[in-house]
This record gives sequence, C-alpha cells and structure tokens, in this order.
Amino acid sequence: MNKQEFLEALRQKLAGLPQEDRDERLNFYSEMIDDRMEEGLSEEEAVADVGSVDDVVTQIISDTPLSKLVKEKVKPKRRLRVWEIVLIVAGAPIWLSLLLAGAAVAFSLYLTLWSLIAALWAVDFALAMSFLYGCVSAVVFAVRGYGFSALATLGAGLFSAGAAVFLFFGCVAAAKGVVRLTKRIVLGIKSLFIRKEGSK
Amino acid sequence: MDIQLKRGLLDVCVLAAIKNEDSYGYQIIKELKPYIKLSESTLYTILKRLETAEMLTVRTAEHNGRLRKYYHITESGRARLEDFRREWDEIMSIYRYVTKEENNE
Repeated sequence: MNKQEFLEALRQKLAGLPQEDRDERLNFYSEMIDDRMEEGLSEEEAVADVGSVDDVVTQIISDTPLSKLVKEKVKPKRRLRVWEIVLIVAGAPIWLSLLLAGAAVAFSLYLTLWSLIAALWAVDFALAMSFLYGCVSAVVFAVRGYGFSALATLGAGLFSAGAAVFLFFGCVAAAKGVVRLTKRIVLGIKSLFIRKEGSK
Repeated sequence: MDIQLKRGLLDVCVLAAIKNEDSYGYQIIKELKPYIKLSESTLYTILKRLETAEMLTVRTAEHNGRLRKYYHITESGRARLEDFRREWDEIMSIYRYVTKEENNE
C-alpha cells in the first residue's frame, strides 16, 4: 500500500469525524510517513511501519468521545426547511418515545447481564455460608452423640466449600467477560456513527 | 505495566523528549523507543492532551518542501516535569525502604 492509498483509506473510514479533526489526523500520519521515507525507508515500508488502517481507525474511534461522533452525525448538511422543522417538532411525541423505548430496552438487556453476575456471586456466597453452617451443625451433632449426622453435615459442608471455590473462579471470569463485552459494545456503537457515511 | 501508570508516564516522557529542544512527531517516537512503546495514534492523543493542557505549543514549519509540526514545551510543561521528579524522589525512597526489608530476611 502506498502513502496515497493509505491516507485515502483512512479518510474514508474517518468520514464520521468533523472535517477539521480528520484533516489534522491525516496531516499527522502523512508527516509520519514522509519522515520515515526521509530516513531511507521505501514508501511501502514506511506505510507498513505506521500500522494497519484498521488498527489506526480503531484507536482513533476509542479516543474520540461519543458525543462528538453523534454531534457530527446529526449535524444537517444543509439548512433545514421550515416544513422539516415543523415535522420534527410535531413528530417528537412519536420518534422521541420510540427512541427512548429502544434505549430503555437496550439498557435493561445490559442490566440483565449484570444481574446474572450478581446472582452468580450470591450463589457463591450461599455455598460459602453453607460450609460454615455445615461445620457448626456437625459440631453440635457430635456433641449430642449423633455421629452419622455429624459426618453427613460435615461432608455436605465440605462439598459446599469445594463448590464455592470452584464457582469463585467462574464468577471472576464471568465479570471480566462482561467488562470486556462492555468495551466492545461502546466501540461498536461509536463505529456505527463513524462508518455509515464512509461509502458515499 | 499498569495502564494508568503507563498513561501518566507517557505524558511525562513526551514532555521530556521536547524539554531541551523543539521536536517533531517521528523524532519523539524514535527518542522514546528504547524506553517505552509508543504508537503513532497514542502519540497523537498525548500531544493533543498536552496541547489542551497548555503544557506545549505547536508551530508548523517548512521542511524539505513540506510542512512539519514542531512541539515546544511551555513553563507549565516544565513544572509538570519538576512535579514528576519530586513525586518520584518520594516513590524511590519508599522503593528503597521496601526492598531493604526484603534483603534483611
């Protein structure tokens, strides 16, 4: 890939950024490539050294606040006509409530994920508690002379302890997974705003 | 390395790279290469952040028939470096204390 192709690909994928930001980014990468070529690298090597277009774009998207991407996206390309403004305002009870409903559904789905995690931790906690309970009741049974019952509750308690330790790792892994998922969702939402117009 | 820690260190590293004379993007990356890994995109973000915080200023100058941006450290940039030095003097004395305990055992 030569410099021109690299910059053009970058320009298209960054179509969702405000013009000024995008030009500044492109100038920055252009300078970086030129400086490498000046040092003796070939054009292709210099471009490869800067990184792949997709990596660069991903990094830029995660650096850019979502509000900026949304603002650029909804900014009208021309002045709105009067009837369009009337329509938007008059239609607000419909589109606004639909938009809110959509956002609420998405949010509750996300919340469900976290409640699952909370439930997992609760189960883990309950298992740990039943280990304690098993030990205490085993002692009580033993003192009163019920040998078999003491053994049985102690065994059940130990089983719970084992299950609790085992589940603990599962809980940690699940929580980490949701955190990772959150990052990907945020990145996905952002690229939704930045990419759509790239093809025009 | 811890991400928050690395982020703070990168800011200071970039300031240190321009503390003696004005420098440009690729020069900064080359200068820091032996110490800390820094990609183009990360550098851009840091430079932008430092510029907004008025720790450096940017000027554009012609070089070999094209434009190149040079970065110049400001007084508050130098103050940031001085803060860093003082902070780390403290951290290093704690470090020496912690490792000394280990040796005695």
